[in-house]
Amino acid sequence: MWRDLGLAVLVLLSAAVESNSTSPPGKPVLLSCRSPEKETFTCWWEPGSDGGLPTTYRLYYERERLEGVHECPDYWSAGSNSCFFNKTHTLIWVDYYLTVVASNALGNATSDIFKMDVMEIMKPNVPENVTLLVVETEDSPYLHIRWEHPRNTDTESGWVTIKYELRIKQEKNNKWKEYMSGTQSHFSLYSIAPGGVYTVQVRCKLDHGSWSEWTNSTNVKVPNYVQNERSFWILVATLSAIPFMAAMCILIVKRENVKQCVLPPVPGPKIRGVDFHLLMSGQSEDSTNALIINQNFPLIVGWKDQMEEYLIVTENDIGPPSDASHCQKRKKSLIIPAGFCSDWEIQCKSTHIQNDCAGGTKNETGNFPKNNKSLSGESLSYMEPSKLQKQQCLGQNFVNTEATDPSPLNYDNAVKPFTNSGYVDIRKHVENTQEVNVKQVDYSRVEDVNGDNVFILNNKNLAFNSSGYMDFQRQEEKLSEDYSRVKEVGSNNVVVLQIQDMSADTKNPHATGAHKMGVCTELINSEYIDTIPAPPLM
Amino acid sequence: MAHRETNGSKLFITVLCMVAACSAVPINDLLDRASQRSDMLHSLSTTLTKDLSNHVPPVGWTMMPRPPLCHTSSLQTPNDKEQALQLSESDLMSLARSLLQAWQDPLVDLSNSANSLLHPSQSSISNKIRELQEHSKSLGDGLDILSGKMGPAAQAISSLPYRGSNDIGEDNISKLTNFHFLLSCFRRDSHKIDSFLKVLRCRAAKVQPEMC
Repeated sequence: MWRDLGLAVLVLLSAAVESNSTSPPGKPVLLSCRSPEKETFTCWWEPGSDGGLPTTYRLYYERERLEGVHECPDYWSAGSNSCFFNKTHTLIWVDYYLTVVASNALGNATSDIFKMDVMEIMKPNVPENVTLLVVETEDSPYLHIRWEHPRNTDTESGWVTIKYELRIKQEKNNKWKEYMSGTQSHFSLYSIAPGGVYTVQVRCKLDHGSWSEWTNSTNVKVPNYVQNERSFWILVATLSAIPFMAAMCILIVKRENVKQCVLPPVPGPKIRGVDFHLLMSGQSEDSTNALIINQNFPLIVGWKDQMEEYLIVTENDIGPPSDASHCQKRKKSLIIPAGFCSDWEIQCKSTHIQNDCAGGTKNETGNFPKNNKSLSGESLSYMEPSKLQKQQCLGQNFVNTEATDPSPLNYDNAVKPFTNSGYVDIRKHVENTQEVNVKQVDYSRVEDVNGDNVFILNNKNLAFNSSGYMDFQRQEEKLSEDYSRVKEVGSNNVVVLQIQDMSADTKNPHATGAHKMGVCTELINSEYIDTIPAPPLM
Repeated sequence: MAHRETNGSKLFITVLCMVAACSAVPINDLLDRASQRSDMLHSLSTTLTKDLSNHVPPVGWTMMPRPPLCHTSSLQTPNDKEQALQLSESDLMSLARSLLQAWQDPLVDLSNSANSLLHPSQSSISNKIRELQEHSKSLGDGLDILSGKMGPAAQAISSLPYRGSNDIGEDNISKLTNFHFLLSCFRRDSHKIDSFLKVLRCRAAKVQPEMC
C-alpha cells in the first residue's frame, strides 16, 4: 500500500522533472576546416548537447578585410554540421574567424573562435585511378605504377603544386616501403621478386599543406619468369670452371718448368778464349795474357837472360880438296839478331852446319854467349820468322864474320857491336893457301835489310879495320871485291848469297849438291838462312 | 577582361621567346630555379611555425581589439585564383619582389630575437631563421636578374616599411607571442611569393606541361 503510493509519487515527480529539463544547447565545437584545391573550403563542427529542444546551429565568420559578420553561405553541400565556402566566398591569405552558435528555445551557445587561413588548411583528395603493371623486360621485370591527380584540383595554371608519395608492400611482410614521386604521376619499381604479390597506395599534398588520405590498396602478382635459362648458364659455368681450375693447379705445381719455358735464362756474354771464371777469380796473368794476345800472336816465352841462342849459318867454300886437316870450313855464321825490343821474343832455331873437321871451327855457341855478354842484357832469343813480326831494330844489326881458324880468339876480334843487342856472326873460312895465317877478321857487310827479317849480306874478307867497326853502308850497285853478292832472296826469309872471291871472275854459282871435298864441307853455293818456324802456339 | 588577358598573355609569350632567344640561360630555367628556391623558403617557414606553436600556448585571438596586421598587409595582392591569374607577369614579378624586399629587415630582427628566445628548441629555431635569411637573399638576387629580363614594369618595387620591433614586450610570453606573429606573417608572404612564381613558371613553360 505504502509501496504503491511511493511508486505513484515517483512517477509523478519524474514526469514533472522531465518536462522541465530543457536547457539551452551545449557549446558546439568547431572541429576543422579543409580546402581541397585552394579555391574552396569546408568547416565542420560538433554540436553540444541540444538541451532537449530542437537546436539550430549557425556559423558566423568574420574576415580580414571584410566588414561585418557573415553567416555561412552553405550548410548542406558538405553534410550536416558543416559549412561550405564556395569560390566566391573563399579568399586566401586572409584570416577567417569562425564561430558556431547553437540555439534552441531556451538559449544559445557559442563556440570558441576558430581562426584560420585557407593557406593552412589545404588537404587534397586522394589520387585517382591507381594502376599497377608488371612490365616484363629481357633482364628482369619491374613494377610500373600510374595514377591521376585528384579530380577537382587544377594542375594547368600552376596555382597549385601537387606532390605525390606512394608506399609499396609485399604480401608476406607487413612493412611498407615509402617513395617520393615529386610531381610525377608515375613510378617504376625495379628488382621485384618473381612470384610475389605487391600492394601499392598513393597519396598527395598541395604546396606545403597536409597529406591526403591513402588510396585504396591496389594489388598485382608478379609471374615467375623462366629460370631454366639461368640454371643452364650456371651449369655451363660450373663445368667450364673445373678444367680451368685443373689447369691453374698444374701451372702452379709446375711453375718452375713453366718459368723455364716462358722465360728462358739469358745466356751470359762469352768471349772466346777467355775463361770467365778465371777472370772472376782474379788470376790476372792469364787473363791479361788472354786479353792482350790474340790467337795469332806468337808464343811468348819468357826471357832468358843468360841464354843466348842464335842462328848460325855457316858456309863452306869449295876449297881445294884437301886433306881433312886443311879442311877448313868456312862458316858463316849468321846470327840473326834477336828482337831488341823486350816485348817480344823471337824464336828460331839455330842451325849451324858443323863440320867435323878436326880443325873445327869454333862453332860453339857457347863462345858466343860470352861475347854476347858484352852486349847489354838483352840476348838473342828465338826469332820467329813470322810475317807479322818486324824487327824493329834492324838498323842495329851488324854482321860479324869471323874467320875460322884454330885460333879460338876469333871472337875477340869480334867487332864490337854497335848496339847492345844481338849481332850476326858469320864465320868465314879463309882460304888456306893464301891467307891462312892472316888473322883476319872477316866481316860481312849488310847490304840491305828488308823489313821481313831478310838480310842481304855480303861476304867478303875485309881487312880488319883498326877502327874495328862495322861499316854499315848500303851498296846497292857497286860490288867491290870485298863483298859477296846476294844471289836471291827467298820468300821465306831466305837469303841467297853468292860467293865471289877476287880471283874468281865468274859469278857462276857453284852448284849445290854433293861436294867432292869430302865430308867436311859441302860446297854450298848458296847460302841461306834457314829459319825454323816457331813451334806452334798454344 | 578575358580578351585583355589573352592578349596580354600572348604578348608575354612573345616577349619571353624573344628574350629567351637572346639570353644565355633561358627564362624557363631561371623561373624554375626561383620557384624551387621560394618553395624551400615557404617550407622552412612552415616548419618553423609548427615548431614554435608546439610549445606556445594558443592565444585566443578575438576580433576586438583588432588583431595586429602584418606590415606587408598594405600591399594589394590577389587573394584568390582568379585574381592571381588575371595579373600580368610583370605585376606578379613586381609583387613577389616587393614582398621579398619587405622582409629583409624583419628577418634580421627575427634572427636577433631568436638568440634570446626562451624556447625548448631555441637553437634549431635560430638555425632555421639563419637559413631563411640565406634563402631569402639568394632568391632576391635571382629575382633581380629575372626581372631585368622581363622589363621595367617587373622591376618596380613597392616599399613596405617595417616599423621595427618596438612592440615586442619585455616579458617572455609577449616576446614569444610577437615572435610567433612575425613568423606567421612571414609564412603567409612566402606562400604568396611561391604561388606567384609558380604561376609565372607555368605560364613560361607552355611546351612543358609537367612544369605546372
